Amino acid sequence: MSRNKGSFSFKSNFLSRPILAGVFSFVFLFLLGFFLLFQSYQIIRESEAREMINVMDLVEKNLNNSLKDSYSVALSMGLIIDDEGNIRDFEQYAPLLLEQYPVIDVVQMVPGGVIRKVYPYQANKAVIGYDILKDPKTRKEALKAIDVGKMYFAGPFDLLQGGTAVVGRLPVFKNNKFWGFSAVIIKLESLLEQAELNKLAGEKYIFQFSKINPESNEEQFFLQNDLDIEYNISETILLPDGDWKFYIALKNPKEAFYELIPMAFFILLIASWLGWVVTLLFKQPIRLQALVNSQAGELAASELKFRTIFNQAAVGMVRVETATGKFLETNQRFRELSGYSASELNGMNFREISHPSEINENLALIQQLLNGDIREYSLEKRLIQKSGNVLWVKLSVSPLWKKDTSGSTHIAIIEDISERVVAQNELMKNEKRYRALVENGGEVVTIFNRKGQAIYSSPAIQKIAGYSEAEINSVNLSSLIHPKDIAELDKQILEAMKFPSKPISGFTIRAKNKKGEWRWAESTITNLLEDSSVKGFVGNFRDVSEKKEAEINLNKSYQMVMEQNRRLLNFSYIVSHNLRSHSSNIQAILNLYNTTSVEEEKLNYIGLLSKVGNALNHTLEDLNEVVSISTNLDLNIESLQINAFLNKTIDLLEMQISDKGAIIKRDVPDEMIVKFNAAYLESVLLNFRTNAIRYREQKRKLEISILGYKENGDWILEIADNGVGIDLERHGGKIFGLYKTFTQTPNSRGVGLFITRNQIEAMGGSVAVESEVGVGSVFKIYFK
Amino acid sequence: MKKSICVIDDDMIYQMIIKKIIERTAQFETIKFYNDGIYALEDFKDLDVVLPELILLDINMPQMDGWQFLESLIEHRPTFKNETIIYIVTSSIANSDREKANSFDEISGFLSKPVSVDCLEKIIKEHR
Repeated sequence: MSRNKGSFSFKSNFLSRPILAGVFSFVFLFLLGFFLLFQSYQIIRESEAREMINVMDLVEKNLNNSLKDSYSVALSMGLIIDDEGNIRDFEQYAPLLLEQYPVIDVVQMVPGGVIRKVYPYQANKAVIGYDILKDPKTRKEALKAIDVGKMYFAGPFDLLQGGTAVVGRLPVFKNNKFWGFSAVIIKLESLLEQAELNKLAGEKYIFQFSKINPESNEEQFFLQNDLDIEYNISETILLPDGDWKFYIALKNPKEAFYELIPMAFFILLIASWLGWVVTLLFKQPIRLQALVNSQAGELAASELKFRTIFNQAAVGMVRVETATGKFLETNQRFRELSGYSASELNGMNFREISHPSEINENLALIQQLLNGDIREYSLEKRLIQKSGNVLWVKLSVSPLWKKDTSGSTHIAIIEDISERVVAQNELMKNEKRYRALVENGGEVVTIFNRKGQAIYSSPAIQKIAGYSEAEINSVNLSSLIHPKDIAELDKQILEAMKFPSKPISGFTIRAKNKKGEWRWAESTITNLLEDSSVKGFVGNFRDVSEKKEAEINLNKSYQMVMEQNRRLLNFSYIVSHNLRSHSSNIQAILNLYNTTSVEEEKLNYIGLLSKVGNALNHTLEDLNEVVSISTNLDLNIESLQINAFLNKTIDLLEMQISDKGAIIKRDVPDEMIVKFNAAYLESVLLNFRTNAIRYREQKRKLEISILGYKENGDWILEIADNGVGIDLERHGGKIFGLYKTFTQTPNSRGVGLFITRNQIEAMGGSVAVESEVGVGSVFKIYFK
Repeated sequence: MKKSICVIDDDMIYQMIIKKIIERTAQFETIKFYNDGIYALEDFKDLDVVLPELILLDINMPQMDGWQFLESLIEHRPTFKNETIIYIVTSSIANSDREKANSFDEISGFLSKPVSVDCLEKIIKEHR
């Protein structure tokens, strides 16, 4: 580099100093531009000068024309002088001449220097008799005309008759003797007009017109303008006929200069821009050089980085000759994984340390890589360590050749995944185990959505409920739930909605199996709607029908036993109370009997004793009836139509009903058929209606309405009256008790309702009452 | 001094018997009978009515039993405890009845039927 520096000094100088190059370019271009500009300025100047010369030529020609005309007129005038020196027919010729030469304003005849004739006369008569040779103002120029012997123009000067004009005087000689002058006067305006000065001047030029004053010998200027002779002067012409000098100059001599100013700016701009471009251009190689340097540095750094990564990586890395499978380079981690040293691995083929099961797959992938079908691949395979142990690794391969070029070597990354594989196998085993549990367990597991549609059902459903998974998925689950349990299920689902992922358990519902049997299912519902892997409710249902039925039976038995017990207790109380009242009476009477000696009194006690006997008998009859109801377990139970029995009892009570004018309303469907003992049913219906008649409100007409309907699948018979009613607050607990009466009605013994209730309960039904004093009572019989 | 006694019981035979027994004690000038608690209450709730010195009250009665009668009377005549002595006289031997009787301050004793002359005399003595 340093050797070449000298020979490349100029170039390298500019290459290394782009700004200098830029400035240089700028100055060069600027100077070049201005040189060209100056040239064009010169050209403009020259063309202007040429144009001015042309203009002045025209002016000169025009002026000479005027002067020639004046000369012609003056000569013509000279001809009208006869040999005697007399002026003839001046008045005749003058107008003709003026008409022919319009530039001439006035003609004069001046014999001997005195103006004798003038035309037009009227405007100029003031000059008649004026001696021009005597007046010093005119004398000099007049004499000059005589002196030169030809026409000489005096002036411009102010005329006696007004205005500024030039006077051309032609000396006329008669017989070689000076006669006088033939003069023409041209007004200055006319002269200038004739020269077409105004027309030629236009916007561009100005003219000046001067003469050396014959008296003062000073140059006198006649046109009013600011032409500065010293500065603006450009072209002049001299007219010897009047010693006149004409000047022409540019009105705006700097115009051409101004016109070039934008151009100058443009040149400046272009030069600057080009200078800048040159700077940039020269900078480019420097920038490129910097880029090359930095990239070379980066390359070195990334090479180092790659080396470091390769050697220090926590994963095994090898570089392999793709075609042969030979290891070219291996890193530390790979040597650890394989158990081989670097020298051992050198020249070894990857096949030697691969498990035979995956070799073919691996070779196929390498072939695809070589063919260019794939650009990378990864494979989970087993590596056989030096010790002979097998290690699960994940192999990731990337080729080290560019796309669409032939293969050379590739990089393989080897990760130890043995732990993951073991965990995965464990997971799979667990999964299988759970699946087996779910599929073979005694529990149906279903996943269902908000609408009750099953998304998944465990295969156990086939075994337990008889449905195939497809069948269960095609129906709404709620259609399989017992109508009486729907509410319970809804309640539990609501609870599950409230507490996502909390298992809601401990409830049992009935579900229909494929045979149409209702089976009890102990259920747990878990709301996993939010769980992305489930997105539904998980329902676990265990068939607990046997248990539940046993439980129900047990419960029924318990209820029955309790009821029996309650009735027995009640009965024993009745027995003890009612029988004891009689026995105590007997005891008391006997006591009184024994302690009296009065015979009459003794007879009295015997009579009393027989009364007790009667009462006791009555009581025993009542008790017998009760006992027979409570204990008679094998009564004949038939299906009985309520309406038929109502008809029968109405017949029985016909007398009483018509007697009291009672109204009986009946709304009982014919299909109301209950299982009951016929005698009991008759007794029950009779009793309620006898009661209604007996305890009627005297003040109003008795109305009995009998209503039969079904509630929750069971028949209910309602017997309502508008009778006196019962104060339930007071008697509610005892209303169906034995020997309880609630009115002061005679004949009421407190046996009827007791018997009725016992009869209903013996048939498995129940009875309830609603009543209000003074309004009426409603008895409801619930049939089983 | 002769006293008044009242028997509230629905058993007509018992009424006849107790009447004999009361007469034998010769301690009472007037004996009043009510067949049901409800009739007794009708009279006694009137504060102008002077209560008898002794009341023998049955428990089981068709319309208003002994307990209901006592509760209603307490309601209508809160201070009647100072005006009379009440004994429950019943054929019931149920322990529950005896316990319930003990829970009433207004009840002085619980007698099981039959009531003897001696028993009655003993009560009179106790409250002399």
